[in-house]
Formats: sequence, structure tokens, C-alpha cells
Amino acid sequence: MSEQHIKLPEGSIEKTTTTLNLGPTHPATHGVMQNILELDGERIVSTEQTIGYIHRAFEKIAERRPLYQITTLTDRMNYCSSPINNMGWHLTCEKLLGVKTPKRVDYLRIIIMELARIGDHLICNSIVGVDAGAYTGFLYLMQYRELIYEIWEEVCGSRLTTNIGRIGGFERNFNDIAFQKLEKFLKEYPPVLKEFENLFQRNRIFMDRTKGTGAISANRALNYGFTGPNLRAAGVDYDVRVHTPYSSYEDFQFNIPVGTTGDNYDRWLVRGQEMWQSLSIIEQAFVRCRSLKGLKQKYFMRMFLNIICRRKKMYIQKWKP
Amino acid sequence: MNGFEEPYGMLTFKAPKELNLKVLNFLYDDDELKFRFLTTLGAVHYPNNKGQELAVVYHLHNLSDNVRIRFKVFTDIDQPDIYTATGLFSAANWMERETYDFYGVNFIGHPNLKRILNVDEMDYFPMRKEYPLEDSTRTDKDDEMFGRGGTFGFGTEKAAVGHATIAEADKEDKNGRDIL
Repeated sequence: MSEQHIKLPEGSIEKTTTTLNLGPTHPATHGVMQNILELDGERIVSTEQTIGYIHRAFEKIAERRPLYQITTLTDRMNYCSSPINNMGWHLTCEKLLGVKTPKRVDYLRIIIMELARIGDHLICNSIVGVDAGAYTGFLYLMQYRELIYEIWEEVCGSRLTTNIGRIGGFERNFNDIAFQKLEKFLKEYPPVLKEFENLFQRNRIFMDRTKGTGAISANRALNYGFTGPNLRAAGVDYDVRVHTPYSSYEDFQFNIPVGTTGDNYDRWLVRGQEMWQSLSIIEQAFVRCRSLKGLKQKYFMRMFLNIICRRKKMYIQKWKP
Repeated sequence: MNGFEEPYGMLTFKAPKELNLKVLNFLYDDDELKFRFLTTLGAVHYPNNKGQELAVVYHLHNLSDNVRIRFKVFTDIDQPDIYTATGLFSAANWMERETYDFYGVNFIGHPNLKRILNVDEMDYFPMRKEYPLEDSTRTDKDDEMFGRGGTFGFGTEKAAVGHATIAEADKEDKNGRDIL
């Protein structure tokens, strides 16, 4: 402990530190985190986090809803990449109901999920730029998230909170416009991403502001239960897509980018590399979708008899006015 | 330890609640097992399971061999005391606070066991089964598009006369589940 700045007289009941409420701020979703800081001058002595500001009781709502009504809740878990959360829910329900999806559904899902991953990493990486003082990169990349949103819009009708797909597949087939938009994205995005990386990767100011900041060791990250790019940036080569493949990820070839120091710069690099890997996965999935023959070329949904169908049938018939 | 089963390909077992730390420590320290990643921790309320109403569930992961297991301890709801796992896993800190917040499990030895998501003034544990979700028959939310109020639907005269009530529908639904 450094020497305290403020000297209080003996027996004083006042504190030597100042309490400051920082936030609610938005580290991810808006307004979820408040820090109550204890300050000694400009030095932070301790901090207490409050994270319950917009707790929306999803678990309680989900207790009584039919399975298909819960997908919309999963959108809100991370609205930068809601399709991944939707798919997570669909896959869980399919496991529970014993539904096996056709290969084409798996590939279409992978296209959507990897687009979501790109959309999310694109925000993360470019916002780091904004926080480090470079706004241009963010606006430049943001234009291309629009292309991703247009693809989703073509597939499911919505952009941000997508509610994409259904348990068993998709509610309708992808149309030609969706595939054209996908091709457009695959053609236009890589050069822009390259340009963005050139702008930041070896930029002296950006490196000075991110290197060595917020570093987390691999052991600490594991102990705290980190997953995803944050864990990989700390040097652990764990990727659930490779180690426990779901939705036919085992059919694809891609690398797991791994960092060394676990600081902000490494996290930025890992996310950047993952975008390139995602682009390659989308291209592979695109080719695989095209190479399916005959009827397999048309599957977009696995029909199955389940609780939902029973329930729906029952309700609709009984409540016809 | 008892109750070994493997639902959906994931080994699951139970242990007496006094032994939870011993089991977790053994799974963590053993050179072969190496379960050193706490994926998640939560609770389940079984109101009909007398004397063992609350289950605390640990999901553990061995990252070097990529094996996952589920480990459960049961406790009486009148005295839901369980030893904390925060000494082993830093991740357990917030997860145990959440479990306390929603189920009222008292983790002995937790450094800061207080509500995390709900308001501090709350004096109950909302995820326990005795608290139902909103009353589906309420009429103050008048919105036909969402099946409440309006000309027919939940809680209206028309729904009550000549159409299935919620209780009937639920009963049929249970029958439906049984068939499956």
C-alpha cells in the first residue's frame, strides 16, 4: 500500500478514500455493469461490480413457454451475434427431442453462424480501435456488417434480433437472392478486412495502447472459466467446434488461432484471424451445399412429431372462434 | 458416490453434500482425471423430493482429454448449506452468488455471498418452484395479438366457456408428453 494522501485526525469517522459510481456502462449489452470504486486520490483501491441492472428473468419466462417461443429470448443474450445463440438453442432442443438434421441444414447453419461470428468479431475489433482513438476503422468495417444483415434479412426477415431458423432446420429455404448476397459479401469483405488490418496491426499508437494491457495468464483464464477467443488469446488451443464438433463442423478444415500473452493486442489478433478462418469455413460450406445432389439439394427442415406440434394442433383447434 | 448414469452421453453421478469439496478436490488434483475447468454451476428445485429438494449441479471439464462430467449434490431446502468451491475455481464465485440469488443455496465459506442479479431488497428466491410464472388468466394486459384478452384467448369469457381452460390444456399436454 502506498502512503495515503489524506491525513485524518485521530478518531475521525470519515473515510480516507472517495467512493465513485462508474456506470452503468456497456461492456457488451448496454447498461449491464456498474463499478463502485474506492479511490485514493486517482488510484483505485478496490471496486465492486453490480451486474444485475437489466436482468430479464429469461429462465423464469422459459419455465412455462413452449420450446419454439424461447428462441426469441436467446436473441437478446448477445445481440451482435444472435444467430449463434438461436442455433445453440435449436441444437439443444434437437438433442433433447432426438432429431437428426440433414447435412444441408447443418451447412446452412454453419454459414449463418460463421457470418454471425464475423459480425461479432468485426464489432469487437473495430470498437477497440475506437476506444484507442481511431474512429475511421470502425465506420469503414461497419458498412460490411450491413451486408451480413442483408443476408439474414433475406433468410429470416429480421436483422438484429433474428430468431433465425426453427428446431429442426429453417422455416423456409434460402432463396437465390440470399445466395447472391452471400457471394457479394464473400467477394467484397476480404479486401476491406485486409485494409483494416493494415491500418491497425503494426500501428505504433494502437500497439502502444493495447500491448500489455489487461493481460490474463492461461492458468488464470482457465480458473475463471474463460472460453472462446479470450481463452485462446491466453494460449489455450481449445475450440469447441474442433474438440466437440456440432452441426457437422467435423467436415470442415480450419485452424485455431492462439495468442501468447492474453493481453488486449493478442485478443485483437486472435479475433482478426478467426474472421479469416470463418470466411474460409463459409466458402467451404457454400461449395458443400452446392455439391449435394438430387433431393438433398432441397432439404432445409427436418420434420418431426414433437410436443410443439401436439400443443399447437391442440390449441389452434380448440380456440377457433 | 452413487447414482451413476449417462444421459445424452455425459457421465453423471451424485455424492452426499458434505463430501462435495472432497470429490471436487479429488477430480481436480488427480493426475489422470484433471477436471480443472468449471463449465457451469447451478441448482434445480425438486419440490416432491422430500428432504432433498435442492440439487446443486457442477459441470466439470477435463480440457486435456476433452471429457465432461456432471456432478450433483442434494440438500434439504430447510437447511441448504453447501461448502463453497471458490477455493478451487475462481469461476465459482459469481456462479454461486447466482445460485444463492435464485435458489437460496447457502454456500459456506463464500467470500461475498450476496445477491448478484436481483435487487438487494428481495426477500425470496424466485426460481424455486413454489413461485409460478405470471398468471396466464390475467386480463390487465389486453392484447389480442399475443393471446391475452381481446375477443378470445387466455382469460376471457369465451375462453372459459366452450374452450379449453388452462388446467385442461395442461392436463392434455402432460398426456401428450407421456405418449412421447
